Amino acid sequence: MPRQAYDQALNIAPDALRAPWTRRARDAALLALALAALVAMAIDLEMAPGALMAGFGKLGRFLGEMFPPSSGGQSERILKALAETFAMAFAGTAIAAVIALPLGIIGAKTVVSNPVLHFVFRRFLDIFRGVPALVWALILVSAFGLGPFAGVVALALADIPNLAKLFSEALENSDPKPIEGVRSAGAPPLAVMRFGLAPQFAPVATSQTLFFLEGNFRNAGVLGIVGAGGIGFELDERIRIFAFDEVAFIILLYMIAVACLDTLSRALRNRLA
Amino acid sequence: MSIQHPAVEAFERERRRLLIRQRTQAAVGLAIFSVLLLVSFQRSQFFGSEIGGDPLGRMADFLQRMNPGLQADLLLEDRQTRGSLHSWFYALPIWLRAAWQTVEMAILATAMGSFLALGASFLTAQNLMPFAPVRFVVRRILEAIRTLPDLIMALILVAAFGVGPLAGVLTLTISTMGSLGKLFAEINEEIDPRQMEALQAAGAGSLKKIRYGVMPQVLPNYASYALIRLEGNLAGAAALGIVGAGGIGLELQRAITYTEFDTYLAILMIIIAMIFLIDLFSEAVRHRLIGLEKA
Repeated sequence: MPRQAYDQALNIAPDALRAPWTRRARDAALLALALAALVAMAIDLEMAPGALMAGFGKLGRFLGEMFPPSSGGQSERILKALAETFAMAFAGTAIAAVIALPLGIIGAKTVVSNPVLHFVFRRFLDIFRGVPALVWALILVSAFGLGPFAGVVALALADIPNLAKLFSEALENSDPKPIEGVRSAGAPPLAVMRFGLAPQFAPVATSQTLFFLEGNFRNAGVLGIVGAGGIGFELDERIRIFAFDEVAFIILLYMIAVACLDTLSRALRNRLA
Repeated sequence: MSIQHPAVEAFERERRRLLIRQRTQAAVGLAIFSVLLLVSFQRSQFFGSEIGGDPLGRMADFLQRMNPGLQADLLLEDRQTRGSLHSWFYALPIWLRAAWQTVEMAILATAMGSFLALGASFLTAQNLMPFAPVRFVVRRILEAIRTLPDLIMALILVAAFGVGPLAGVLTLTISTMGSLGKLFAEINEEIDPRQMEALQAAGAGSLKKIRYGVMPQVLPNYASYALIRLEGNLAGAAALGIVGAGGIGLELQRAITYTEFDTYLAILMIIIAMIFLIDLFSEAVRHRLIGLEKA
């Protein structure tokens, strides 16, 4: 019955329920144009349906070979690589936080009040904000040689501009009242920082740093592909020789470790908030 | 001078107890942090001898090699003259073509990933998918995708689909579906139910209810999230090229293989410019969308 009412209304007053045909035609044309552009891009990238089907066939075989996962008798080596991955993430995040802190202070509007300086500095950080850690790692491995050291520096380089931006925003958003309160009690500048600013800023900054640690643990797992140590190296090696049962073992272990760190870090962040 | 009052004494005792507890907690936290930090530095060979004794010297040497050696009077000379812009950016047309491929990869992956995320979000939203097991399964799949780092997925897909943009597009599509699927589902759960009820009362079927009751409410938010994701996908696509998934990353890899550090710097500048332009574009569109939403 209600269904009929809807159809009836559509027959009596179609314009009340439908957009005018000019607009519908324009929308349809735009949609067709967008789809055509996407198809053109796919053709330009040589994404042939044949290659797609063949690839899915291979992928299916790989996934089949992943079960049951096997350590290949090298679980000790893999665990060591996992520890190295975490170490890279931790050291990289710590270095990034230490360097980002002064940069963040300089970037805060409340500290450097000159708008031109502030704009130039922020833009300077923005330039480097988008560069992924892997791009840094690739060149740093060439500079420092194979090993986790290049990975640590790459993670730090990728994080510094992002953390600095978040730190300066946290500083700008801190409430001036406690600071004024401490100052009006006659405290010296250092005590104003310690008792007025730090209690507001430290929890926010710590929680952001923890958030970056989680991200870095994910990123650190792939830096090994370009030779920067950690679990990525072990993974890359086994994918190259199509040892997918061992690949599955490493991925599962790594995902569990990522989930553990995420849970731990989230618990810590909730306590700070 | 001291005030002897039981209430004051109790207060002081309580305060001291709290202070001691706080300080112990801080000390334990600091100790754990220091141990972790030391072990991390040790494990990651931060002070190891393998860095080659003189890391700062190597860094300086390396920066020196990144310097393209531009000379003011030779800037506009041809490719053969060392010190001209042309000899620094000697393969600019090839790099721009590769950069455009990377942009295409990011756009295609964002479009396809958003489309898949749209479907997934309707299957996981509590108010749109009444059948709980379906919600549970789709949610776990999305979670698994989000936990797996993109580049690991890319390694496996490059092994399956071969070196080239196809593997990169598929990787980014899947990872976009994982992250946007969750965000879209959250948007879906916050819609105003009255519009759907009105359509239901008018006798519209489920598809019509979604088309006219849900879509108009959620599309602006979807688009804004998808655009943010496009920015991320562009940086991701640039990195994926390094593991063989096509685009500008392949050129970076090539520059490193031939140890042309000045070329690396040139390509890095192209990547930074590309990311910067897409950010500007996406920000402008998002601000317009938010404006439309408010109007």
